[in-house]
Amino acid sequence: MMHKQRQRQAVNALIFLGPACIFLLVLLVAPIIVDLVVAFTDMAQTVRVSEFSNEQFRKIIRPNEDTWLGFELRGSFYRALAKTAIFVVFTLTIFNVTFGLLLALTTTALPDWLGGTFRAIWLLPRMSPSVVYALLWIWVIDPTERGLLNQVLINVFGFGPINLFIDHPMAIIVVANGFIGASIGMLILTSAIRSIPQHLFFAARADGAGPLSIVRHIILPTLRWPLSYITVFQSLALMVSFEYIFLIMGPARSTMTMAMLAYTKTLAPQIGSGQYAYGAAITLILIIIGVIVALLLYRLTNMKRLLAKPRIEVH
Amino acid sequence: MASIELRHVSKHWGPTIAVDRMNLTLEDGEFVAILGPSGCGKSTTLFLLAGIYAPTEGDICFEGARINDVEPRDRNVGIVFQSYALYPNMTVLKNLLFPLRFKNTSNEDAHARAMEIAELVQIEDLLEREPSQLSGGQQQRVALARALIKKPNLLLLDEPLSNLDATLRLTMRSEIKRIQRELAVTTILVTHDQVEATTMADRIICMKDGQIEQVDTAENLYRRPDRIFVASFVGSPPINLVQGRIDKTMLVAGQRRLPVSGNTVSTNVTIGLRPELISTGEQGLPASIVNIEPMGREILYAAQSEIGLLRFLEATPQPRLALEEHVHLKADPGDVLFFDTGSGQRIEGVRLDAFS
Repeated sequence: MMHKQRQRQAVNALIFLGPACIFLLVLLVAPIIVDLVVAFTDMAQTVRVSEFSNEQFRKIIRPNEDTWLGFELRGSFYRALAKTAIFVVFTLTIFNVTFGLLLALTTTALPDWLGGTFRAIWLLPRMSPSVVYALLWIWVIDPTERGLLNQVLINVFGFGPINLFIDHPMAIIVVANGFIGASIGMLILTSAIRSIPQHLFFAARADGAGPLSIVRHIILPTLRWPLSYITVFQSLALMVSFEYIFLIMGPARSTMTMAMLAYTKTLAPQIGSGQYAYGAAITLILIIIGVIVALLLYRLTNMKRLLAKPRIEVH
Repeated sequence: MASIELRHVSKHWGPTIAVDRMNLTLEDGEFVAILGPSGCGKSTTLFLLAGIYAPTEGDICFEGARINDVEPRDRNVGIVFQSYALYPNMTVLKNLLFPLRFKNTSNEDAHARAMEIAELVQIEDLLEREPSQLSGGQQQRVALARALIKKPNLLLLDEPLSNLDATLRLTMRSEIKRIQRELAVTTILVTHDQVEATTMADRIICMKDGQIEQVDTAENLYRRPDRIFVASFVGSPPINLVQGRIDKTMLVAGQRRLPVSGNTVSTNVTIGLRPELISTGEQGLPASIVNIEPMGREILYAAQSEIGLLRFLEATPQPRLALEEHVHLKADPGDVLFFDTGSGQRIEGVRLDAFS
């Protein structure tokens, strides 16, 4: 009897955990192992491995006795790293967090139907196909008189046309990604604000708090945990995101972040791709940076407490 | 402190009417309870007074001045919520100081006031705790202190005791009454629990479906209810209500005809008789016992008589009567209340001549 029961338990465990385990192995662990192996080969267009070496990493890192750390980064890689940092930090702070927070605060303060309408509008970029969204941006910032932005600048303000592709390429990808990222922040924060018991707002109003005091003393303390969550997960997502950068800017050097670099060196069509081992090496470094950033943010935002138990008190 | 007046106040939520043309005057320093079943509009009335909701029509006046459009923060009203609504991210002390933040109180004054009020509600030892570290009763005291610290003109209590266990409820009941008396603050207690209302308040407003049924003392609500609803809502075990009809000088109820006198008008009536006013004897209304419920100090019997089912209380701890036993029910005919079944209003001047 006992034996049979144990067997059934094992089968049940397999049925319930099996799909998740397979998913984890095939889609997450296996690619990382493949990436790790390929990074130390010379695999290129022919997809043939002739030797194992650290040649790819030598393309990225060069030993240099004069520098403080004893090595220096190759120019293209260094620039990609810096651009990734700028891209992630600005998109995250300006849009995903600040703008998302403003949207959540304003749309929850409005009457329900109006707030809901605004939120729905802000969700449109996320719902529309990325190619359509990117095409719209390309039209908006078109450097000729045809571009929407230039039409406004010329006809409304009387300025000359501007070429954002050349003058502010990073701003383009920050704003384009931010408009999408803000909606996620907005959704998470909206639901967090909604989960604050109504009586707390009533109490604060009766205690004499105005709208700004209510935001500061009632809403913001509650949003601490959702904000940590957005910061950690969105920074990781942005670090490896290249979809909109590629669709809007193409393989331009001016917006070549780490993820873009790895993509253009390997899979992007017709632009000197096929350097699989090199791309794998870049990806490996990206993975390592991702892990470090995740652990740092985890500590910094005290995420452990967030995961441990619900922080929003429901009465 | 202030006298408070509601003039023809209504609150509509779309097609639903939460409060229906309510008129009410409260005296300075009075402790009033609003009693009614859930959904009768009692909490809405409270929030109208606090300024959290705006009335759909009518005027709310504090000391004669219309304050319909005055923001909650300018009304100087303290509220204790059923959920206590303590700010979860602040310590007890910060919760207490929060209302003073908006009152231009100096730091020393604010702390002195906090200490004073903490002593009044006996939470001096809890000031550094967070709300999540407090028991229900302690949270209740903190909520009360926070409502009182700004010396409100009006204290509103929204079901403040319903989240506490039975013994704590008893303690807090007398505590709140003591504090109210000490501060002499005009207080409105909203509750669905008649014991809370009758034990704490000077006057009780009995509400149903957004309308006031009766405003009176606990005793009058119990002994001389104006309407069937008040009679049935106040009192436990509930009053006996029997349908009947007055036919000239006779009350026809079930298969029985009882003589009535006074200014009788032939109409459908409901008669009411409190269970403790019925006893058994040698003579009276014949009935047979159908249910026995020992309640500790007394026993609640249910007996089927010819006029209908009647419950009565016997003050003996042991059942003296058995199921299906035949008894005679006695009552002072003057204790029987008459209500117009149609309007629900009590009929005065009609008297039962004999209860048998």
